[in-house]
Amino acid sequence: MNVLVLNGNPFNDKGNIDQYLGILVEELKSAGHNTTVIVLRDLKISPCTGCFNCWLKTPGTCTIRDDARDVTRQYIAAEHVIFASPLIMGFPSALLKNAMDRNISIMHPHLEEVDGEVHHKKRYDRYPVISYLLEKESCTDEEDIAILTDIFRREAINVRSSLGFVHFTESPVEEIVHAINVH
Amino acid sequence: MRLMFINGSPRGTKSNTDRLMEHFIRGFLETEGNACRTEYLVKYRQNLQTLTEKFSAAENVIIGFPLYIDAMPGSVKEFLEVLAPFEGKINLPALGFVIQCGFPETSHTRFAARYCEKFSRRIGCRFLGAILKGGCEGLDIQPNFLTDKYFSLFNMIGVSFGKTGKFDEELLTKLARPEHLSAQNMAQIIPYINQALWDARMEKNGVLDRSFDRPFTS
Ligand SMILES: Cc1cc2nc3c(=O)[nH]c(=O)nc-3n(C[C@H](O)[C@H](O)[C@H](O)COP(=O)(O)O)c2cc1C
Repeated sequence: MNVLVLNGNPFNDKGNIDQYLGILVEELKSAGHNTTVIVLRDLKISPCTGCFNCWLKTPGTCTIRDDARDVTRQYIAAEHVIFASPLIMGFPSALLKNAMDRNISIMHPHLEEVDGEVHHKKRYDRYPVISYLLEKESCTDEEDIAILTDIFRREAINVRSSLGFVHFTESPVEEIVHAINVH
Repeated sequence: MRLMFINGSPRGTKSNTDRLMEHFIRGFLETEGNACRTEYLVKYRQNLQTLTEKFSAAENVIIGFPLYIDAMPGSVKEFLEVLAPFEGKINLPALGFVIQCGFPETSHTRFAARYCEKFSRRIGCRFLGAILKGGCEGLDIQPNFLTDKYFSLFNMIGVSFGKTGKFDEELLTKLARPEHLSAQNMAQIIPYINQALWDARMEKNGVLDRSFDRPFTS
């Protein structure tokens, strides 16, 4: 399977999640998955400006020229995308969220009903499954996890995908590999 | 009462957030002695530190933003992250939020609002509540009877906040309508939005026939 890992750890001093991802990627590769890692902090991805040019001027392509375009290309090529980030103030990093915001060119502006709610139409035939691998803060509690899981589930519906798993770096790497295998 | 409104829309002064909050602020200022300052987050991107200092010195802060993929825009998250050093400090401002979104149902915003409430508790700000509103894209093309209703409710919520320091629950509920849409409502509204908001603009740009382009298909 084509697996894309978006490493949204903004901190250069490595930290737990980078080490964890290093091991995970090796395990995924030896399980036969074609695995790509993008380290977002090494790229230039400015925030979405809300201009909608990616729908109204150059359909499917954001008009800001930076590295977000390559992230979008790799996202569409993947079958499973893992969004990896430490939690910072109870949410994945701004670095990761900016990359996700810049990805809305994968949707079509038209609205349609999806499970009783209004959402956007698909632009592409298929989208990857999306999953989250997060590193907890010392204060992360059950309530934070419930809030995040609800938001992630909704995000997946909104980008016409499905939510694979939400795991934390305290889970054994094998569990993540297994979760990817069964998808 | 003193209020600092931080407009977190990447569109800055030309945002739906601004158009709506203009009415809130006008209402808020009706009470004598009240003062409000608006700060545009986009203007501080290279200098977020300055804005955090203003934040910590404020009495009341409202952060407004458009919903981006069911959450705050990445640029708003950048600001929330630099507020981390204030966690647990005394004399932090009371903190409220305004979240508006493009999809017509307000229910889309409720999940980000839960995060905002938890954020306020985490940092140690008294939570003022969240003003939530769906259906805010294309305010220009919506019929006046609708936008006038939104504007007047934003105004009334501002008046009442200016007097009491609280967001009036009843007004918030009214503003949030429709919370959900019936299948029948959706079938009526969706073709109108697709035509008036999107097709008309794509046609003007000469790209309507390319609207389903797939530049990244391998
Ligand atoms: C990147 C991006 C993501 C968006 N995601 C959502 C969404 O998940 N749900 C929604 O209802 N509207 C969404 N919108 C629409 C905005 O919330 C809506 O256009 C809003 O009114 C913009 O407000 P502003 O002019 O104050 O920036 C999104 C817009 C952009 C540009």
